[in-house]
Amino acid sequence: MYWPDARNIGDSFAGLPRDVLSQMVLMPSRYHWLVAVFALLLLACWTPAAPAQQAASGGDTAAIARPPGHTSADFWRSLKEGATGVSSVRGVESGVAMNRHGQEWRQARNRLLAPWGAWLLGGVLLTLAGFYAFRGPVRLEGEDDGTTIPRFSINHRIAHWFTASLFLLLAVTGLVLLYGRGALEPLFGARGFAAIASGAKEAHNLFGPIFLFALVLLISGYARDNLPQRGDLGWLAAGGGLFGRHASAWRFNLGEKAWFWLVCVLGLGLSLSGLVLDFAVFGWDRTTLELAHFLHVAAALILVAVSFGHVYLGTVGVEGTLRGMLGGAVERRWAALHHDLWLRQTESPAAVDDDAKGND
Amino acid sequence: MTSFILGPLWTFSLLVFCLGVAWRIVAILALGFPRDPASPRGSGLAGGLAGLLRRSWPRNGVGRKNLLPVIAGYAFHLGLFALLFFAAPHVRFLDHYLPGPGWTPMPRWGFVIAAELAFAGLILLWLRRVMHPVTRLLSSLDDHLAAGLTFLAMFTGCLALYESFTGLRVLHVFAVELLLLYFPFSHLMHAFTLFMGRAATGARAARHGVGA
Repeated sequence: MYWPDARNIGDSFAGLPRDVLSQMVLMPSRYHWLVAVFALLLLACWTPAAPAQQAASGGDTAAIARPPGHTSADFWRSLKEGATGVSSVRGVESGVAMNRHGQEWRQARNRLLAPWGAWLLGGVLLTLAGFYAFRGPVRLEGEDDGTTIPRFSINHRIAHWFTASLFLLLAVTGLVLLYGRGALEPLFGARGFAAIASGAKEAHNLFGPIFLFALVLLISGYARDNLPQRGDLGWLAAGGGLFGRHASAWRFNLGEKAWFWLVCVLGLGLSLSGLVLDFAVFGWDRTTLELAHFLHVAAALILVAVSFGHVYLGTVGVEGTLRGMLGGAVERRWAALHHDLWLRQTESPAAVDDDAKGND
Repeated sequence: MTSFILGPLWTFSLLVFCLGVAWRIVAILALGFPRDPASPRGSGLAGGLAGLLRRSWPRNGVGRKNLLPVIAGYAFHLGLFALLFFAAPHVRFLDHYLPGPGWTPMPRWGFVIAAELAFAGLILLWLRRVMHPVTRLLSSLDDHLAAGLTFLAMFTGCLALYESFTGLRVLHVFAVELLLLYFPFSHLMHAFTLFMGRAATGARAARHGVGA
């Protein structure tokens, strides 16, 4: 059976360009020592470009010109400071032999973002578990009389679940990329994790732009009812109804509105930074990519952490809430308990308008 | 397991797919058309072609009320068609099996756009299927299974995009095999019967002298 991609090029070389891998595979192993010697010779002979060449290539000539008495330490120092040379490879910063920026970014990712992100995600999960144990779910009051109120249209629900499914997929693949080496490599081994990470990366890159489209659908469907309204702060002052006091709210309470705008702002930031990372072929320099990556991960971690709260409140935290997003309608007693202003508006719009105008 | 999936199971699923599809089509054609003693008022061929075109767009009033299934439907099907026949790995694969000079794969950006359209369309269509009360009632387990297997085949293909991990490619081939095995016995047959049905309806209407 012929399988065009069945070349066994070794999973451990996954990071190398395919043409390099092909060359390595095609070359008989008895000649590998020749390559090593050639590489050493090249390294020994490598010198930064002459000033004329530098000027032609637009590089920083002054930083790497070798003055008389130039020492090896000076040479390496200049490289560390980002001195540029001439490379046959065409691309942004391809003449930079050593980029200390990359190491700084790597440390920021591994020593700042990843651990703080883990603390954030774990902390939110623990808080929610503790809150559930302490408070339990918010139960509906009274008996269900069978009356339901339409809350979300089909298009609203499709927009929500479309965004949610993409968010879930992107969150899982993103977390695999951020924490997989520590969490999955011990379980699946280096080769197994390399395959998982490769799959996660491809899926993440491919589904990312669809998330932007989903966000546009979400914003166009939900933005109007998530604008600030009189009474929003009253809901906040009443603790959102979680601690015994009744909290009046419109169609969406302040917490839901805050979540919505957080999704919009951070989601758009995530999408735009993701597009920069996704389409690196457009020639972004390294600093731009590092900044985009840092913002992307930070925004994603915040969104994932807050989404735990959203999922909690939408499922086990508040009885009867999920029904609205699944079937489109909620029980009347649910609406009366959590969104009484919206219920009044739905049942008698004129009365609410009169209230707003101050009429009797 | 890998050699089984890439070898005997692949051959078997391809055989079931080809024979199953041929059997279903022959069975439909064997039913024939009911004899119509009236003299035809129009050309059946022209009517069939007109039916194919006309029924590719919803009637006035239906499409305007809900454009989502129309747009998502076209996005998914066109995207999937492009992925199936013009994605570089698929072109290489088909080039090996099919006679003739083969064809040029689409560029990377074309692949990305096709994949985005196909995935977005499929997810939206399935969500509408389960959200809309009418389509939910009309849908059977077969429809959900067909959508799920299609998504699985597409998704595993997406995972294997880097083309360097045997395990991921085998996973994709396995998902495709499941789809091939299920295809002839499911609503997925509409990939073939859709055009037959539309053309037959259009031809019959033209012979009767009415619009399809």
